[in-house]
Amino acid sequence: MAKKTILSVKDLNVKFNLRGKILHAIRDVSIDVYKGESLAIVGESGCGKSVLNKNFIGMLDVNGFVESGEILYFGLNGTEAPGQAVDLAKFKKERDWLKIRGKEICMILQDPMTSLNPLKTIGSQIAEAIRLHQNLKGAELKKAVIKTLEDVGIEDAKRRCRQYPHEFSGGMRQRVVIAIAIACKPKILICDEPTTALDVTIQAQILGLLKELKSKLDLTIIFITHDLGVVANIADRVAVMYAGEFVEIGMCEEVFYDPRHPYTWALLSSLPQLGVKGKELYSIKGAPPNLFKHIEGDAFAVRNPKALKIDFIEKPPFFDITPTHKARTWLLDKRAPKVEPPEYIRNIRCGKEKRG
Amino acid sequence: MLKYISKRLLRSFLTLFIIMSITFILMRQMPIEGYFQNYDKLSEAQIQNGIRMLGLDKPMPVQLFNFYKNLLKGDLGMSLRYRNNVPVTEILAPKIPVSVRLGVMAILLALILGLPLGTLMARYKGKLPDHLGTAFIVFIQAVPAAVYYLFLQLYGTELLGLGLLFDPDKWTAWILPVFSMSLGNIAYYAMWLRRFMVDQSTKDYVQLAKIKGVSGSKLMFRHIFRNAFVPMVQYLPATFLNTVIGSIYIESLYSIPGMGGLLVDVIKKQDNTMVQGIVLLFATVGVIGLVLGDLLMVVLDPRISFGAKRGNR
Ligand SMILES: Nc1ncnc2c1ncn2[C@@H]1O[C@H](COP(=O)(O)OP(=O)(O)OP(=O)(O)O)[C@@H](O)[C@H]1O
Ligand SMILES: [Mg+2]
Repeated sequence: MAKKTILSVKDLNVKFNLRGKILHAIRDVSIDVYKGESLAIVGESGCGKSVLNKNFIGMLDVNGFVESGEILYFGLNGTEAPGQAVDLAKFKKERDWLKIRGKEICMILQDPMTSLNPLKTIGSQIAEAIRLHQNLKGAELKKAVIKTLEDVGIEDAKRRCRQYPHEFSGGMRQRVVIAIAIACKPKILICDEPTTALDVTIQAQILGLLKELKSKLDLTIIFITHDLGVVANIADRVAVMYAGEFVEIGMCEEVFYDPRHPYTWALLSSLPQLGVKGKELYSIKGAPPNLFKHIEGDAFAVRNPKALKIDFIEKPPFFDITPTHKARTWLLDKRAPKVEPPEYIRNIRCGKEKRG
Repeated sequence: MLKYISKRLLRSFLTLFIIMSITFILMRQMPIEGYFQNYDKLSEAQIQNGIRMLGLDKPMPVQLFNFYKNLLKGDLGMSLRYRNNVPVTEILAPKIPVSVRLGVMAILLALILGLPLGTLMARYKGKLPDHLGTAFIVFIQAVPAAVYYLFLQLYGTELLGLGLLFDPDKWTAWILPVFSMSLGNIAYYAMWLRRFMVDQSTKDYVQLAKIKGVSGSKLMFRHIFRNAFVPMVQYLPATFLNTVIGSIYIESLYSIPGMGGLLVDVIKKQDNTMVQGIVLLFATVGVIGLVLGDLLMVVLDPRISFGAKRGNR
């Protein structure tokens, strides 16, 4: 199957103005999102996952701005630009975003407890989304609301749509939020840590639901998380983010079984599942860089005990490993010395070879 | 629902009972001149006779009991000094509608002007409308009310070409008193609404509504205003009281024949039974405000269940 790009980010730079000081949150990010795939974006807290995705629906905080770069969206098929790309980075007015929000790109927030209006019934909040994007009224609208609730696995939907959010548990509320999102009939669904606030069994159910809806509704999903377990469960492709830029992008197996960037190594090594019994769990030393300052060379170098000299001087480009897998590290340069990945990573590789 | 309301009403009656008893007992501590028309000219025997007639020689609990017994019959006693031997209720009856009309109009005007002002300030937070609104609020709260009441009267009456005497049949005569009385509450409503709307607009559910494509005035009114209005309701009782307090001054300023002006008069004339009667009415207004605030809260917020333990607020 030929991959069709639905969203293409090119050299995006996003900055925040904080009391006169400039914070460089997204640094030269480029990525293509393909139609129908599920892409996971992983990275530690504060690396810019949410900021990057908020750009796609015009929800950046007021002190943030796109300094340069393009966000091309290819999904519009209305009369305005059939099959043509629109550059979301150029959108300024709320009116422009109304063409995108909901019906093209929709987003699910992290905390289902606060995502719903506490004073409105579940039904009316879903109906609001349907009315905006599907032009239904009266009895048809009501039917559509109930159908949407059933689609996300809520039983007794007829009664439940008259209830208020406080009558729902956390997991149920996240289902309602998902119902609101799919009621908009979006092409891309961004899920910003949708299961972080939920307990493990509920997490699995919500992930299952998202997977089911994805294939049923032909959705493209961007999944933001710092839980690699979740990634393995749901993603086709993984993009690893560090300090406002991508350091490694590849298919799920490629990044899990053949990671190339030292930061990806560190991230995988800190997975509890990979830890060796009796040994202390690996944790990444140091703190992420200060985004107020200009970053010289490879942003991860200062925390990488095996960093090369050049890592501190010049920023590495992306090196292709396979057509679908690339990483931004000097280790992949022909001239680089051979640096062995840590033990954990070698173990995974062996495991894979034995099995495969 | 019914159980909640009856419980709430019972509590308000208790509040009223306490206020009234304290007022009653305090009034009894005043000099007994307050019970006679022309005390100075009366002989000792006449005074003793009067005291016995009014039942003032009985012990306090008995007096209090008699007061409530008469109150239940709708009898607030006789005015003795303000007007000689006229029932208090008869004096108050024509004045109540005037004051109620004034108060209701003042509150409505405050809502009509205060809520849009607050909304505008929240909508344009940090911009010119917000700054102008803040300047207005600070002015109203910092300057003593008497100053701008007088100022408005001085220039307002001239501007509207009004006579010095209040004429209830001329609608223009109501403009200045109503407007003056509403100013404090306009500032109050605008201040709280702005604050609550700004609070609400940073909430996640507003983000989600925006993400699903709700915009502009729909977002502002259906979500932000609607939700900010609920905590506003708590301040309703306070604004009722503000209005009552305002009326005391405004009514005497414009010589409006209402109860606020009357209270000042009867206190000056030391007419104890009249003071009691008016305090009872004002206290009732205050308590009604409180009950109304609570009931509205229950109606507006589904999370508050009617008195049941389930409510989590
Ligand atoms: N409004 C803002 N003003 C200034 N800085 C901001 C603002 N919003 C985000 N940032 C900064 O941008 C960086 C990226 O934040 P972001 O919320 O995208 O992180 P994240 O990867 O989503 O983290 P988490 O996993 O904790 O959600 C952080 O350093 C944060 O401090
Ligand atoms: Mg985030």
